[in-house]
Amino acid sequence: MSSQTVLPLAKPTDRPTPAYSLHPAAFWASLFAGMLLQVSLPLKIPLARLFDFPLILTIYFALIRRNKIFGVVLGTGLGLLQDAFAHGLIGMFGIPKALVGYLAASASLKFEMDQLGARYVLTGLLVCLHRLVIAGLERLLFESPPPFVPLDLANAVVVNIALALMCFQILDRFRHPV
Amino acid sequence: MIPGFSDIARPAAPRAPEAPEIMQAFVSRHLSFLVLIVVLLAQFLFLAYQVTRKQGGRLLQVWALGAFDPFERSVEGLTHATSGAWQSFYDLSQAQRQNRQLLEELAHARARILQLSEAGVENARLRDALNLEQRLPYRTIAATVIAASPGTNTAVFIDKGTDAGLSADMPVITPEGVVGKTIAVFHHTTQVLTITDSSSGVGSMLEKNETEGVAKGTGEGLCRLDYIMNESQVAQGDLVVTSGLDQIYPRGLLVGSVAQVSNGEVYKNISIRPAAALDRLDTVLVIAGPSIPGTRASSKKGRP
Repeated sequence: MSSQTVLPLAKPTDRPTPAYSLHPAAFWASLFAGMLLQVSLPLKIPLARLFDFPLILTIYFALIRRNKIFGVVLGTGLGLLQDAFAHGLIGMFGIPKALVGYLAASASLKFEMDQLGARYVLTGLLVCLHRLVIAGLERLLFESPPPFVPLDLANAVVVNIALALMCFQILDRFRHPV
Repeated sequence: MIPGFSDIARPAAPRAPEAPEIMQAFVSRHLSFLVLIVVLLAQFLFLAYQVTRKQGGRLLQVWALGAFDPFERSVEGLTHATSGAWQSFYDLSQAQRQNRQLLEELAHARARILQLSEAGVENARLRDALNLEQRLPYRTIAATVIAASPGTNTAVFIDKGTDAGLSADMPVITPEGVVGKTIAVFHHTTQVLTITDSSSGVGSMLEKNETEGVAKGTGEGLCRLDYIMNESQVAQGDLVVTSGLDQIYPRGLLVGSVAQVSNGEVYKNISIRPAAALDRLDTVLVIAGPSIPGTRASSKKGRP
């Protein structure tokens, strides 16, 4: 069986795929806007509590940069910043986002992730993983962790894939090959 | 053969790599994975450290809030300005029609003024008798909710801080009921923990028979009332108010109403629906002064 039939949506790369980047101003502006929307939107739109802009940005930049260390550093930075705004322990978002950044960059090195389908399948998997890691940490650290509701997980995956659909298309307009 | 010649002619055997070289090759090959492990381990250790020594305000929070606070206020201000402009435009279009209507009503109203003057005098006398000052016998500070805490719907940020005289563990209310308490106070901003947070506890009691318990958050938009014996009479819809025993919330503030009740092994399982709309908070009041002693009776009347 050829390696090209392993996964129809995301074939293993058989040629060097270029890494992309954004202009530094666009990169920092997108991170800043993402954090600002993360803390402001839930006050106006109840559904926005399911949004995770820092997670979407971590996945996107890790995918286009194709650099695992960059993914880890970006995920950790955004996660810790999110922790600073949350009522909780510092690291609850940092750990899962570092993991997500690493896995997204790893996937981009092994598979052709410029295809839309592959991107959104990977985004759904990583959103799911992100939630599961947080739930696992809560069970490990808290005496009475909040109950895990699978329906909430499903809602978060669907909503964040839809969010990624918009964010990725916007950000793609500003990217250029490194 | 010259001694040692064979050694010169023989091709040199490949040198076995030494331990430091093996280590260096391993590190360079797996650098990104090692970075991930170090980052995860460091954060996990820090998490463990926080669990044992958890405190309210952290330096990282101070920095992050200091950087984002002006922008959060700008977004809030822009939202209000936009909605205000739209409201003004709408009001202007309605003003002309209302003006004609009001002129007609004015004529009728003038005729009724004479009839109502007598009732007005009596109304003023009754208001004095009620002594409205005692309806809410606490010193309060109004504040606006400017941000939600990411990843949780049980904490919010308000736009007043130490500059307005706030400190930790001050009760926060709305006209509908108890919201929560202040937990981390910064210069211009304060983090408020709502009563539905799983780490929140409010000394509470059933209003109808003053049976005392503790209202704890479930983290899912509801509270549960603990330590109410199975023998107690509790029904759906019963009001739950603060008992004052926790030394934070004054006695008599409305917490919510009983949503579900069932018997447990020793204590009842009571679910409380908070009276305040915690998912739509806008303006809140922070109780900055101690409750006036002996206001139990009056606080029932002035309950938020």
